[in-house]
Amino acid sequence: MNEQPLKIMVIDDENIVGKRLKPALEKTGDIVEAFEEGETALARFAQEPFDIVVTDIRMEKIDGIEILERILAKSQRTKVIIITGYATVEIAREALSKGAFDFIAKPFKPSDLRQIIERASKELRS
Amino acid sequence: MDQHITDIKDPDIDYGSEPENIPLHQRPSISIRAKIAISFSLFFILSFTVTVWSYWILTKLEHKIEFLEIADNYMVEIQQARRFEKNYLLYRTDLDDALGHLKTADKILKNNSEKIEKILGPNHFNTMVSYMSKYHDQLILLGAAENDAAKEAIVPSLRQFGSQMVSFATEFVEKERISVTRMFLLAKRVPLYFMSAIFVLMVFVLVFLTRQLLLTLNRFMEYTKRIGEGDFSPITPARKYRDEFTKLAEAFNHMIKELDHKHNVLLESHKLRAIGTLVAGVAHELNNPLNNTLLTASMLTEDYEALSDEEKREMIDDVINETERAQRVVKNLLDFAREGETEMALLKIDKIVEDSTRLVVNQVRFAKVDLTLDCEPNLPLIAGDEQKLKQVFVNLILNAVDVLPPRGKIRINVKKDKVPGYVLITVEDNGPGIDEHIQGRIFEPFFTTKRRAKGTGLGLSVSRGIIKKLGGYIKLKSVPGKGTVFIVSLPATDSPSEIMSK
Repeated sequence: MNEQPLKIMVIDDENIVGKRLKPALEKTGDIVEAFEEGETALARFAQEPFDIVVTDIRMEKIDGIEILERILAKSQRTKVIIITGYATVEIAREALSKGAFDFIAKPFKPSDLRQIIERASKELRS
Repeated sequence: MDQHITDIKDPDIDYGSEPENIPLHQRPSISIRAKIAISFSLFFILSFTVTVWSYWILTKLEHKIEFLEIADNYMVEIQQARRFEKNYLLYRTDLDDALGHLKTADKILKNNSEKIEKILGPNHFNTMVSYMSKYHDQLILLGAAENDAAKEAIVPSLRQFGSQMVSFATEFVEKERISVTRMFLLAKRVPLYFMSAIFVLMVFVLVFLTRQLLLTLNRFMEYTKRIGEGDFSPITPARKYRDEFTKLAEAFNHMIKELDHKHNVLLESHKLRAIGTLVAGVAHELNNPLNNTLLTASMLTEDYEALSDEEKREMIDDVINETERAQRVVKNLLDFAREGETEMALLKIDKIVEDSTRLVVNQVRFAKVDLTLDCEPNLPLIAGDEQKLKQVFVNLILNAVDVLPPRGKIRINVKKDKVPGYVLITVEDNGPGIDEHIQGRIFEPFFTTKRRAKGTGLGLSVSRGIIKKLGGYIKLKSVPGKGTVFIVSLPATDSPSEIMSK
């Protein structure tokens, strides 16, 4: 596993999500940054692109779909994974049609997300 | 459900001192038909009386005129008798002339004794006859007297009886003449009096009956309006007696009871619908604490060895806090959905409003609407049913959410009312507003601007019922294109004892 570490961004206005996902995802040697607000996350993204963005779909100011659109507009190769409250067909369809890599429904285990990230990283490195 | 509303009296209706409190079935019974029949009978009795009276007075007049004719003849005869008496005394003419006239007079009296007696009465008739016979006796004595001296001796008593006889008759004839004149006058006037009386009576009956009918009809119109507004208290029209309107009221009350029952079923379905809407949002709301708990617990087992005691403690605290958060979410929904009778309690209105906003937080978020809540500090307590009040505010917020475009704003304000002793809650949105011509109908049951199947049209009418029952009011101000604000005012309560009285 001498691969270059992936840069992963986690956006969720529930601060516990970032707090727990950061150490969970860093176990694979990747670099994780957690944000509670879409605005600051996008500002950070503007400084340097991330490989993977995990974002909650429902947040106060900017929602996950908008983050997805704005990130893909900036960096097409970034894999965006949407966290949904519960997986409705419409939301999933909308997210996927707008270019999301995948989605994961709350509540989930860190290992569930790690599997998706693993698939994403495979695609990124292929 | 809202049985307590029954105590509210509409201030617009003048209840007066009429027997509002006597149950309909206990009131004495006089139907409108009976009233009309009584009025007609009164007319009939009056006309009958007047007719009988007129007949009687005319008959009497007839008798009197007959009497006057007889009396006139009689007078002529006795006056003639007295004239011949004088002639005899002066010129010694034949006394038989006087006696002849007196005889005719006597014949007149005897022949018409019945008729005269009827007018004069037997006593006066006898007096009359006796005066005449006394005069007659004196005349006979005069004729039989042998010399002038003897004749002169009789003259004073003869004159006395003669004048008594004439003046007695004259007095009666005059009296009868006056009475006849009076009776004629009366016979002329009574029909006029009668006509006026009939006219007054007719006007009175007409005005009274129509006024009563119209007032009662108006009152029934008020009742239908009241029922239309969702007040299902039984009606007790102010009728002193049981009549057709009382029967109508009873039919109304039966209908109201049925309506109330059906309305309650609808209310329940409205609440269920609201619960259905909220459940989706609340289930969503549960996902966050569940997710936090699952993530934290997973990391705790995964890294158990590597974690410091301090980190472990923090994570366990997170699990506890998030579980409690989930519990609060569930409790909030259960509080709202709980079935049961009205439960009055002293409540913090700011907490009620805040809980309501929490119930709808997902609807608000999903619609991408911005909701802010401002509560003035140190608000007084209010007495109310927690669940029902939440129903009102949830309903107001969901209504606003429904009409707002993304980025729309809902501002909720809780503060003391300018009117002392009241708390004011305003729910303001910057949505499309409500057209002026439907603003008046917005609180009517079943009135809805939402598409079919989306709204029951009961939300605001139910809300108004709830607020009214607590002694408050709900109204709206809306400017099309600018937005709408719903204003709820509720009376504050200082003493817990007030709860019991509501």
